[in-house]
Amino acid sequence: MYIRATGNISPQKTFGHPLMNEAPVAYTGNRLSCIEPDYKEFIDPKLIRRMSRIIRMGVAAAMECLKEADVKMPDAIVTGTSYGCLEDTYAFLSKMVEFNEELLTPTAFIQSTHNTIGAQIGLMLQCNNYNNAFVHRGFSFESALLDGMLLLKEKEASHVLVGAIDEIIPTSHTILNRLGLYKQGDVSSLDIYRAGTKGTIAGEGSSFFMLANEASSSDYARLDGMHTFYKPAGAVDIEKQVSSFLEKQGIATGDLDLIITGKNGDQKSDRIYDQPGQSVFAGIPILNYKHLCGEYPTASAFAFWLAANIIKQGKIPAMLQTSGILKPIKRVLVYNHYLNMHHSLFLLSAC
Amino acid sequence: MDKLISDLKSQIVTQLNLQDIKPEDIGDDQPLFVEGLGLDSIDALELIVLLQQQYKIKLSNADEGPKVFRTVRTMAEYITAHQAQNS
Repeated sequence: MYIRATGNISPQKTFGHPLMNEAPVAYTGNRLSCIEPDYKEFIDPKLIRRMSRIIRMGVAAAMECLKEADVKMPDAIVTGTSYGCLEDTYAFLSKMVEFNEELLTPTAFIQSTHNTIGAQIGLMLQCNNYNNAFVHRGFSFESALLDGMLLLKEKEASHVLVGAIDEIIPTSHTILNRLGLYKQGDVSSLDIYRAGTKGTIAGEGSSFFMLANEASSSDYARLDGMHTFYKPAGAVDIEKQVSSFLEKQGIATGDLDLIITGKNGDQKSDRIYDQPGQSVFAGIPILNYKHLCGEYPTASAFAFWLAANIIKQGKIPAMLQTSGILKPIKRVLVYNHYLNMHHSLFLLSAC
Repeated sequence: MDKLISDLKSQIVTQLNLQDIKPEDIGDDQPLFVEGLGLDSIDALELIVLLQQQYKIKLSNADEGPKVFRTVRTMAEYITAHQAQNS
């Protein structure tokens, strides 16, 4: 299956015409917020007033993806989110407390469910086709992607819009910060891998993809496969999972041109990537991406977007600030884990 | 009454997150639904909540809704009448 089009809103300039060959936007502190477009260009102002930030980000990225794919009516819309619409959830829960559980704010309540974004896209397109949302913490994007892949594989659809969206709001950031997930002090996002400290940086984003079962001349990349595994026993288990996945795809690690890993600057979390980096991934260029988008449960969707764009361009964009990789990039493996529980692998190739 | 109408306009703009509309753009007798401001059934729920939050008035009879929420003036008249009854 093929990645026909993408739409992405992230803490980098990735929306519309991604400025991938510019230096990355650097952030100080432990929270990265998305760079958002002027939504009035994509969403009817009458609808915007009811949409919280995450819904706008989701809908705009989806519309951008549909526009690029020139698909007006996808056969399916599948979304993944871990936190869902936090801003609306916070709004109606706060009001419930404030008014002794006697009052709800109707709009916030209606829009707070995890399937709101997929539903809004369906409503805007007047699309009554398959519409599903997956909420599986660090596997939310992977589950949505798997559903899309199965629909294509079983020929129940020829074009599937798959997306992942998560936001961070002041309250969730404060709570997760108190749980010790994030770095303390003024660390630059570009230096997180060198900081050698505990914690990561909070992120958010909206990534959408049009998957198609037929190739076209404008595809970004071919999606060869995906694999997930939960709470691996240790480094040996991870190596086995990676090797077994690549074997099933009929390739050796030497066939890979690039590996994108989900290092996030947290010492403990990053060590998980070091062992395969020295064994099964040895000799292959490895890049990280979370200095660009931060850490969040569906951050792997940003890596998926990045891999697709790298393959389309055939080279490493300046956004990743690296040098020395001169070989054309034709096959990329993404390896990400979230809190060492949800591990995922994506294999993408040039068409 | 004028002060109440002015307050209601600001509260409606805030509660319904009406973008590009200022309180003074809303006419006292302009219909709020369909052909006027173009509000819909979800907005009607928000207006019921607004009455309860700001004026402690519970709209117990749903049939009253269309009459009460016809314009800002009819809302103000309903609030005034309700407050007079309870004073």
